[in-house]
Amino acid sequence: MTDIIWGTVTKILSINAFEMNVSHQKDTNNDSYQDLEEIHFTEVNIPSIPVDEASRNVSDIEQNLKDKFVKCEISGRNSENRLVCAVSHSGAGGY
Amino acid sequence: MYNKLWQNHDLESADLTSGKTPFIVFPNVISESTCASLSEKIFKNFKTVPGPGIKNKIGTSLGSHIYDKSKYFMNSQKSNTFIKNIFSDGHSPLKSMRQIISQIFHKQISTAFENKMSYSDCVIRIHDEGDSVHLHRDNCNFEMPDYIVSKYKNQLSAILYLQSPEYGGELSIYDKQWNRYDEPSRQPDFGYSFDLVDDVSHTSISPTTGSLVLLNPNFYHMVESVHGNIPRVSIGFFFAESSKYELSCWT
Repeated sequence: MTDIIWGTVTKILSINAFEMNVSHQKDTNNDSYQDLEEIHFTEVNIPSIPVDEASRNVSDIEQNLKDKFVKCEISGRNSENRLVCAVSHSGAGGY
Repeated sequence: MYNKLWQNHDLESADLTSGKTPFIVFPNVISESTCASLSEKIFKNFKTVPGPGIKNKIGTSLGSHIYDKSKYFMNSQKSNTFIKNIFSDGHSPLKSMRQIISQIFHKQISTAFENKMSYSDCVIRIHDEGDSVHLHRDNCNFEMPDYIVSKYKNQLSAILYLQSPEYGGELSIYDKQWNRYDEPSRQPDFGYSFDLVDDVSHTSISPTTGSLVLLNPNFYHMVESVHGNIPRVSIGFFFAESSKYELSCWT
């Protein structure tokens, strides 16, 4: 099963990476994760963020992700010690 | 704390949007007998779907389609037709709600449109024995930037109670407004941690049949557990100023 963490995006690092404050971890995760993790996202299920990296810019990513509560499905860690994840917004704050 | 019953037409609607008054209750908007007849019609047409934070609702809402606009608008069309049909041969609670809101705010009110597609008019929420809604706030400004209604400021919520449960089902409103720095307290599925409202005072509104509640939904709120064999039935929508003379509503 894929490990999953949730939390808020604290800083945008590039068009495919951000820093995240991890607030929730799935009970059945194989690994445990730091309170602050850097995420490299390979997939993003947020319509306003283009799938094509060439069409993205940091400011757009910031507008869509900064301070947002997201779900990260982890596939591993890269050479920069960033978690490689598929990222989506999570749940709803209200109806 | 705030409990303010509507007694005249000079209400400062700005108090609601500013948060000075988190909610206003309008009693006896529809008679008990009309509510009973409307509830009967709803249960005859009982075809509910689950949504964020709720097991049974009739009608679609943005919260169920945050990232799928085309599906939202497709479902809105269906749910608007379905709900119109339920109330087609008699009193429309939606019309009553809109009339009152229009009088208070001195503006016309209609369902929001985007690219000629209609938003969902309203949702009917049904809470059975044991049902509750976890602590949350409603505000599409932050979470749903892809929808045009997210650009409307000062969003408010309207809820009309069509059937009171035997016990419970109160709407509890906390004296604390959401801000983006509360997001670390989100729960993965729905709403927020109760830690956010520790030691925060709250007011509970009984879901009295026929009462209309206008709420500033940026205040944290929740629905307490419903008890007994009679379900709690309410109809609701969100609304905001879309132009100087108009209000738009949606769910």
